[in-house]
Amino acid sequence: MAELADLKNKFLREELGEYVEEDAERQRMVDLYAETKLSMQNIAAAIIDGRHHDVDRLTREAIDDDVQALEVMDDGLIAGMALVGIKFRDNFIFVPEVLACARAMKAGMAHIEPILSASGIDPIGTVIMGTVKGDLHDIGKNLCIMMLRGSGFKVVDLGVDTSPDDFLEAVEEHGASLVGMSALLTTTMPNMGRTIEAFIDADLRDDVKVMVGGAPVTLEFADDMGADAYGADAVECVEIAKRLTEESASAH
Amino acid sequence: MSDRKVTGDRNFIDREGYEKSLRRLGEIFQGITRHAKEQALQRCPYKDRHDCCTAKFACAYKRVASVAADLPNCVSDDQLDYRTAWETDEGDVQAMKGKLLSASAQAGNVECNGRLCVLRVGKTIFDHADELRVKVPTSCGRVGTCHECIVQIRKGDEALGARSDAEAFLQGGYRLACQAVVEQGSQEIAFDLLRREPKILVSQQSRAVEVDPMVHRQGDKVYYGSEELDRYRGHLYGVALDVGTTTVVLELVDLETGQSVHVESFENPQRFGGSDIMTRISYDGGEHKGELHTAIVNTFNTVVREMCAELGVSRHEIYEILVVGNTTMRDLFFGLDVQSIGQKPYRSHVEEDHLRGVRKSTGLRESARQLKLMANRNAVVCGVPLIGSHVGGDIVAGLVAIDMASRREPVMLVDVGTNTEVVLGYAGRLMAASCPAGPAFEGGLVRFGMPGCAGAVESVRYRDGKFCCETIGEGEPEGICGSGFIDLLAELRRANLMTPKGVFLNKAVEVQVVQERGITLSRQDVSELAQAKAANFCGQAILMRKFGVSPDEISQMFLSGGFVNYVEVSSAVEIGFLAPVNEDRVIKVGNAAAQGAREMLLSRKKRAEITELISRVEHVELETTEDFFEMFVEGCQFKPMNCQSLW
Repeated sequence: MAELADLKNKFLREELGEYVEEDAERQRMVDLYAETKLSMQNIAAAIIDGRHHDVDRLTREAIDDDVQALEVMDDGLIAGMALVGIKFRDNFIFVPEVLACARAMKAGMAHIEPILSASGIDPIGTVIMGTVKGDLHDIGKNLCIMMLRGSGFKVVDLGVDTSPDDFLEAVEEHGASLVGMSALLTTTMPNMGRTIEAFIDADLRDDVKVMVGGAPVTLEFADDMGADAYGADAVECVEIAKRLTEESASAH
Repeated sequence: MSDRKVTGDRNFIDREGYEKSLRRLGEIFQGITRHAKEQALQRCPYKDRHDCCTAKFACAYKRVASVAADLPNCVSDDQLDYRTAWETDEGDVQAMKGKLLSASAQAGNVECNGRLCVLRVGKTIFDHADELRVKVPTSCGRVGTCHECIVQIRKGDEALGARSDAEAFLQGGYRLACQAVVEQGSQEIAFDLLRREPKILVSQQSRAVEVDPMVHRQGDKVYYGSEELDRYRGHLYGVALDVGTTTVVLELVDLETGQSVHVESFENPQRFGGSDIMTRISYDGGEHKGELHTAIVNTFNTVVREMCAELGVSRHEIYEILVVGNTTMRDLFFGLDVQSIGQKPYRSHVEEDHLRGVRKSTGLRESARQLKLMANRNAVVCGVPLIGSHVGGDIVAGLVAIDMASRREPVMLVDVGTNTEVVLGYAGRLMAASCPAGPAFEGGLVRFGMPGCAGAVESVRYRDGKFCCETIGEGEPEGICGSGFIDLLAELRRANLMTPKGVFLNKAVEVQVVQERGITLSRQDVSELAQAKAANFCGQAILMRKFGVSPDEISQMFLSGGFVNYVEVSSAVEIGFLAPVNEDRVIKVGNAAAQGAREMLLSRKKRAEITELISRVEHVELETTEDFFEMFVEGCQFKPMNCQSLW
């Protein structure tokens, strides 16, 4: 069994001491980090602190030093997210901090992706995600994106207040087969229907599957406006994305 | 990335390993998403750990930060549905509001705290409270598990859907706001929150105490006695908690300076389980055992959470919670079984264990983590020891507050409440008794009785053939509280409108008190008040006789608890509610229990002194006194206590 003092990265030592309150859990985390290289501990620390520039730099350096990509993923990026999950569960941090960590994770994954494709592993699919026109809420959408990326999807994030044209352009540019839209206001919800209509007008509706979500959206509403699927939360979003991808793959 | 040196086949990801990694990441993310969903019900998802707003849109709770570079602050208290505060486009928001209103133009209203909103079928009472901007406590995200959002439906009960399983423990007009769904439109619904702010004396001149608390700091470590609790985070706080049957007082104390930082008082949320101790005990013996404990713990946590947010104090800096309360309230707070306190010889399991020698003291100790209280995880929760049967830690705290440990002449402490407790004596010799008075003077059993809240008549004078009343608050009188009843009864006697036996002039059935408002006092009411008064009378009279002192020999009489601070002493003496001790020797000490709790929190010496003192208190069981019944009958009469004839 490793000791907290065995960890070379000071930030990790402090974080574990401060935020992991249960003894057995702390021991598990100490054991997890103690087995890793200092350079990996540094990546994990940068993830936990949400420093995406540092994660970008440290991951690049590690890959350049011929550290195995899977090791960077497991010992650096995912090991960092594990503590983020614990801190979030115990209310030491909240959604905005978690999303900052997820953004840092994405900066690291950007260096893993070329190796993935060089190794013959392609993304499950490409998803265009955005919050519809008029809606500036992004938390739910960002959680979905985090989940999708963590499940092996390539995600193009169009941000908030996305017009039907922006969705159309992105689908064509990235050859995406899946579009995810979210709305948080009853007033902006109809813009989902308008975006779907724009796909029909552009003769692109058959090429993409559309999934929708957001607090005021219901399955009934999704059916009415002609969406292919409705997800109540980010976990469902991944399940649906996988199902829709399989469906469109078997259709083609 | 173009300048990256070519990654040779040394860097290759095998599919199996990658999928394994993704599964692990997926698990972590799933946990995060689930928690996010749960938490989003209570806390705005845009609010970060520093309570700053990260949203890109406008929100009613957003406040510009004082430092230019900082994110704006969020001033939401996490209690209301924050989504109603979000505004993306002013025009849209208004249009939506208009639509919602016109759709329900034919509907009835929902009222609370004098505010009105349109009733909406399919929505819960909680939803309506949000709209009314009435803060209903909750900590479970409105799913019916925390039982904090209990409301009392005053009107329109029939418009609500049937009780859900989560509400099975409630009876009468009590409902959970999150579960009660409006089913019928065109109705009027009115509801009250349980946590009405009672008028209670909470801040009194606090005596300076030598600051020597159990919790102290050594270097960068925090200790409780010799036990290490935590690293030092910048402050040491303690909470003195007085859990009364009716009212709870919570005081946050800085354990380094001895300063009181904040005092909060709220109605005991256990009201749904009955208004007096015995009813609560029998409620807790029924199928809903544990509900009362859950209610008080959850409310405590809500109050602490709000207080910490308001004061900018971290809950992790709270290291001790010192609990005083009558035996039942204390043990319910600690989640102990209270059934034995409800039957002869009225002893708690803790006291029985102590008498059998199994326990060294009747004090309790638990960790905040164990009781799931909002504080540092290692914080110590201390239950102050009791004197005997119903005479609990609140009286012990009262004795600390009046400094009984250094008294050399007999003094009497009368703690008036649904259960009145009397302690008589000095440092060398002490006697205590508990008198089950019942809630008549606290607003129960009497038709126009009410607690000392806004709208209660608190003092009464009889002038020129009619009663002149003073009411708490600015509104019209709605009922009469304890001090009002004592004045009223005394004035009825002084004006000879009522005999000592409580018979009205000309054998009238009732007297008009506030004619315009239809507030009356009936024979039945007088009979209830007489019995409650008799219990108070017996406690004082029997103790004085047993101790062998007359009222003249009592150097000081301290009055504490409930409404007694607002009582006119001469009226109370006139009807024999209080012993005829000369008024200049009567001292109202306000909430003595809360004050004593604070002193004990701050001083190890006080704790040691009082523990030693109470081990010598003689507990007198009033019912076993030979002539108790005669005393009680005498006490039912509205006339001054005549000590000569009683001894």
